[in-house]
Amino acid sequence: MATVVTAQIAEEDATQGGVLVREQVGLWRDGLRRLRRNKLALAGAFYLIFIVLVALVAFAWTPYKPSAQNVCPVEFAYADGISAAHPFGCDPLGRDILSQMMQGAQISLIVGVGTSLIVCVVGISVGLLAGFSRGVLDAVISTVINAFYGVPYLLLSLVLYLVLGPGLLTIMIAISATSWMDMARLVRGQALSIREREFVEAARASGTRQGRILFTHIFPNALGPIIVQATFIIPVAILTEAFLSFLGVGIRPPLFSWGAIASGSNTGGTPLNLLQSAPWIVLFPSAALSVTLLAFNFFGDGLRDAFDPRQKR
Amino acid sequence: MPDITKPILEVKNLRTSFFTDDGEVKAVRDVSFDLYEGETLGIVGESGCGKSVTVMSILGLVQRLGKITGGQVLFRGKDLTKIPADELRHVRGRDIAMIFQDPLSSLNPVLSVGYQIDEAMYAHDVIKHDDIRARGVDLLEEVRVPDASRRIKDYPHQFSGGMRQRAMIAMGLSNKPKVLIADEPTTALDVTVQAQILELLRDLNQNTGTSIILITHNLGVVAGLCQRVIVMYAGEIVEEGTAEQIFENPQHPYTWSLLRSMPRVDTSRRERLKSIEGLPPDLIAPPPGCKFNPRCPFRIEQCFSDDPTLETVGDDDRHIAKCWVRMKRAYAEMGAATLTDTRPGAASGVRPPKTLVEKLEDSREIEPDTEAVGDLRGS
Amino acid sequence: MLTRGTLIYIGQRLLLIAFTVLAVSFAVFAALHSLPGNPFVNEKLHGAELAAQMHLYGLDLPIPIQYWNWLKGAIHGDFGVSLAILNEPISPIVFREFSVSLMLGGAALLITLGLGTVLGVIAAARQNTWVDYTLTTFAVIGYSVPSFVLASVFILVFGVWLFNVTHGAFYYPLNWTGTYGTIEELSIPAIALGLYTSGQVTRITRAAMLDVIQQDYIRTARAKGLRQRIVILRHAFRNALIPVVSIAGPLIITIIVGSVVIENLFGIPGLGKEFVESILRHDYNIAIAVFTLYAALIGVANLLVDIAYAAIDPRIRY
Repeated sequence: MATVVTAQIAEEDATQGGVLVREQVGLWRDGLRRLRRNKLALAGAFYLIFIVLVALVAFAWTPYKPSAQNVCPVEFAYADGISAAHPFGCDPLGRDILSQMMQGAQISLIVGVGTSLIVCVVGISVGLLAGFSRGVLDAVISTVINAFYGVPYLLLSLVLYLVLGPGLLTIMIAISATSWMDMARLVRGQALSIREREFVEAARASGTRQGRILFTHIFPNALGPIIVQATFIIPVAILTEAFLSFLGVGIRPPLFSWGAIASGSNTGGTPLNLLQSAPWIVLFPSAALSVTLLAFNFFGDGLRDAFDPRQKR
Repeated sequence: MPDITKPILEVKNLRTSFFTDDGEVKAVRDVSFDLYEGETLGIVGESGCGKSVTVMSILGLVQRLGKITGGQVLFRGKDLTKIPADELRHVRGRDIAMIFQDPLSSLNPVLSVGYQIDEAMYAHDVIKHDDIRARGVDLLEEVRVPDASRRIKDYPHQFSGGMRQRAMIAMGLSNKPKVLIADEPTTALDVTVQAQILELLRDLNQNTGTSIILITHNLGVVAGLCQRVIVMYAGEIVEEGTAEQIFENPQHPYTWSLLRSMPRVDTSRRERLKSIEGLPPDLIAPPPGCKFNPRCPFRIEQCFSDDPTLETVGDDDRHIAKCWVRMKRAYAEMGAATLTDTRPGAASGVRPPKTLVEKLEDSREIEPDTEAVGDLRGS
Repeated sequence: MLTRGTLIYIGQRLLLIAFTVLAVSFAVFAALHSLPGNPFVNEKLHGAELAAQMHLYGLDLPIPIQYWNWLKGAIHGDFGVSLAILNEPISPIVFREFSVSLMLGGAALLITLGLGTVLGVIAAARQNTWVDYTLTTFAVIGYSVPSFVLASVFILVFGVWLFNVTHGAFYYPLNWTGTYGTIEELSIPAIALGLYTSGQVTRITRAAMLDVIQQDYIRTARAKGLRQRIVILRHAFRNALIPVVSIAGPLIITIIVGSVVIENLFGIPGLGKEFVESILRHDYNIAIAVFTLYAALIGVANLLVDIAYAAIDPRIRY
């Protein structure tokens, strides 16, 4: 007769039930594993690291001073762009393109990260203000946000930049002025949803001050999405700067950005002139810019695919 | 009455798996059953037990990661798992129609109800194209949608839940199918509407002779409609029999648990969730032996090593169960009558229904108890 | 299907657009008038002469009054006269340029939506095959490469290397007259402009299709025995269009912004080129007129997008 296993052995059953559920791989480990498998995302990450290194090196050393004229013969620039001494050629004023592009990497990263920081400050403040005040102030802020969405952002940045005057900081401010809305909307939404959660309720019920609730409870909880949004701003800012510089109203000598080099405005020319006479001056910075944006997108997509469980195949 | 000599649909050793990143999920494992002409068959089990995947496999509707890995689905002598896609397409909706659980998500939100019904008829050449518009209204009237000629132009979001399910049924009936598969047709609906929809299905079966397969986790729904019942657990059939046999003389401990936790039409919806506790097994790596053993209060050593097969219970070969222990033995040798299982796996109780216990105490043969069945049906 | 409620909604939206345009034009008006320098710098005017010239054009008045004077004309479609080119009235110039930009932008929008949705559907239908991987990779490349980079490459290929074939069709006369350009002349700029945004449309269409294909109503459609083609096009695609339409507003803004750069690069005499040039030569009136037109265009485009939204999705009613 078979041994009867009855209900008395309750504990054993519970453990057995536990074993039956297969071990869940941690979200982070799982995500990293998937990210490592994504070759394009990895390539993007490596390229970005490379660009950062180039930008850092450019602080200490460039082959030539980017704004130094006649480091190669003027006629040489048009005759034959590429040589061992000037692998990316020279511009019509005899300046070394490689040196300019190394500085361009710097400018792109500074503008990207700087704009992202400004957007964070502005967007988070405005978003928290709206999310916390609700009522009339919230409605006003939301209307302003929507109005900003309806404006051709590049043109507004352009006008602002001209009003503020040239400079690295002003270009960042001009770009921030048209890209803060997403962040503000995100933070507002986070604040609205988090303030209703139990632990904030509990903090309020126990008499914690508004400001304290804000910084000890709401802010840390909203941090994840904010960081994601802040990283999204970087390529947008880089692109906008390139647009402005390409139109000839952005970064000006003695500073060089990729968009400015490609536009030929440094030498008083136009892209059309350049494309006819020395296309590499347009193509090299264009390629650097495109690949940087591509790397951001591949890496960003890879991150999202790896850490968004909904995408799991 | 169903003609039990002529199976219209034969499912033989059907296996369906989902190939995920984590491994092969064997959702349907060697399932065989017949459906007879004019019959109403219920397939019962918890969510994830493979009942929906089984019927989806019949029509080749398992998508993406899922794949039929073995077995046959014979309809009119043709194996639906083997015929070309275009031929299968003509079986769908024309010979075998299907209606689904959530009538809101199952109707296309951007197309009008009438359009979606007509479309089902245009896809096949059963109804003359000139008659389709008129038949659409007739069908809606048939499923008791009030003011059908006007409402046929409405969009799904303008319909109530019950109306949507009626529209779904109208769509399913539009080509006069031989078989109607209803996958949890009443789950998303209010109790009163549930009863109306079930009544509609019952009338349909009686008036047109359409065979119905009803998929549900709710035994009360089965009691109200089905002549025969299949109980599934972890992708396998664990018990099969006539409605009387399943309700009066359940043999598998899982079936008892389902019966104990059965909601009735007159109880509130929240109570329905008082189902069997514990977790269904992982279908990638199920426990060895009987897959119900972690949750079974009457398991014996054999349950851990050997997987039982479906065997005939008693004299009627229509009643089969897949268990080493079965009811009589559990009662006689293991004290099932007094046992109240306190483990999480069986908190809702494992004792057979009360009437049954009394009968077993009398040690008499179990006869169908019409009163008890009527009680279960909530009538 | 225009109900009273819909008309009221459209009316409200038009009011809101008018208000936004007013606010934007004032902001730009004030900003541009605060720019250092003046429109007469080329004429080397100083002292009393400059003051007299400024007075003639009303530039010595306080900005709100200047704005008011400008607005009075603008409401009647008169944007004043150019400050830099011989007192030329602006309105005819700007409206002509507007038609050029509209043509360019419209062509780009068609390319964007057409190409984007078709490729998106194909990628979704072939999910996780090489077709899908190729298309999605190209989509990412598409919206990573700025439109001016793509345009530069096009100019290099078609305008410089293949000059003998195209005969320099991309160099536009500065003093253009009448209606603008031919299809060939417009095609390359429009493609350069449209490809950039089509990548986004491809991605969104693909994601939406993949999401829609998993919906219960697609299962229903298949269970009805509909042809695969009909399931995809009639049931899935129409639903997948909803998220595509929802990004159409930002898409249009992106195309407008891109057209500014493209027009300047190709030398197309449209609003975008005019805007940059007029701003650089302090020709305030033109810059303000262009900006105002853009704001109005975006407002109307967003309204049209919302109407299209309601046309596609019967659940949305205003």
